[in-house]
Amino acid sequence: MIEIYHVWKQYQAPDWALSNLTFRVEKEDFCLITGPSGSGKTTLLKIIFREILPTRGHIIIDRKNIRKIPDHKIFRLRRIMGIVFQDFRLLFHKSVFENVAITFQILGINRKEIRRRVFNTLRLVNLHHKMWEYPSQLSYGEQQRTAIARAVANNPKILLADEPTGNLDPKLAFEIMTLFKKINEKGTTVVLCTHDRELIRHFGNKILFLFNGKLLRKEKF
Amino acid sequence: MVVVFFIEEKASPEDINKFQNELNNSPLITHFQFISSTEAKEQFIKKFPKLQGVVENLEINPFPPSYEATLKKNISPNMVQPFIQKIKKLDVIQDTQYNQSWVEKMQSLSRLIQAVGFFLGGIMILASFFIISNVIKLNVMARKNEIEILRLVGATNTFIRIPFLAEGTALGIIGGFFSLFLLFLLTQFFPLYLGSSLGALNELISFRFLSLFQSLMVIISGGLTGFLGSLTSIAPFLRT
Repeated sequence: MIEIYHVWKQYQAPDWALSNLTFRVEKEDFCLITGPSGSGKTTLLKIIFREILPTRGHIIIDRKNIRKIPDHKIFRLRRIMGIVFQDFRLLFHKSVFENVAITFQILGINRKEIRRRVFNTLRLVNLHHKMWEYPSQLSYGEQQRTAIARAVANNPKILLADEPTGNLDPKLAFEIMTLFKKINEKGTTVVLCTHDRELIRHFGNKILFLFNGKLLRKEKF
Repeated sequence: MVVVFFIEEKASPEDINKFQNELNNSPLITHFQFISSTEAKEQFIKKFPKLQGVVENLEINPFPPSYEATLKKNISPNMVQPFIQKIKKLDVIQDTQYNQSWVEKMQSLSRLIQAVGFFLGGIMILASFFIISNVIKLNVMARKNEIEILRLVGATNTFIRIPFLAEGTALGIIGGFFSLFLLFLLTQFFPLYLGSSLGALNELISFRFLSLFQSLMVIISGGLTGFLGSLTSIAPFLRT
């Protein structure tokens, strides 16, 4: 599903944010990327998401080399992926419903169908009862679940999450991870960055350890 | 503009007929009228009442009979001159009065004003382009977060652009309508403001509102300016 071949990334010489990373994430894997701050986790996710390009190396996603995708066609890649950020990146002037509905609006789906799909997605994350509330009226955990709902709304093949539990207490973090696991069990490949060892022990079936941009080791359970 | 043809008092009816036919057949003239010596004298006294005594004390009427021919609007002086030369050759004509150099000066002044108008219009279009693009840029900045999220969830650039382009175009069109309204007020009230101070210039300077085609062009170019202004201001935010 995701193949990374000899990927290097340099923001500013002489330091390398990523050095010669090579690994594969298979379909329906629940892959956790871990490592200390500054180890290159976010950079790796940004590269997979084609938010930035690697300095060297190739990334094959769904049998396509994403380096070769022209800028105006990136939206096709993004439509098979969902991404959840540590800071949620929600639109605070829009309701929970509207935040999730964006995913369907860009596909030109009619209003009635959008309503049905948004409701189903919010039910998956157990937020359907707060559909018309605004993010500012929600707790941290609920905001995170809204962000997850937006990311999975379009049934993406791959779900990426950058420190999705970083701002949450252990109980909420566990809850959110359970939700990711539930999504993974429905057939979505999940790639998640975290440095929470407790969560890694509980949830990872494939773990990648990064340190100073290098892949220290891979573990598979 | 008017060309005055003074005719010989002793001209034969045939010669006058021939002259009138020339005027009738000329494509430059809208209409003409005969002014007899008596009428010319009366007009003079009416215009200069203080000189009435002088004129009336003369034993003869010094004003020759004449024909006043009104030229069509927008006729170039270059076209009028050959026509006058041709008429002058007729025996019936004593003299002509047509201030070509004055007309030419006025026309070149009018061309200059037109050029200044185009120049200022160009500056205005550029200014509105930058104003609209800056308004849109501010709007884009305010919605930067939303644009970023739209891109992350897989929106096409066209999908993101559409609301901004629509806004810019609408702003341009509204600006076009507003400027037409201001121009309408100007053409209605400026001549009243100037009043009789224009005098003879009134004939040369006409305050007309734009034609339907010109008005449409103002609105379309306003919309186009807004469209291009938005297009250039949103472009940097859509680059990867």
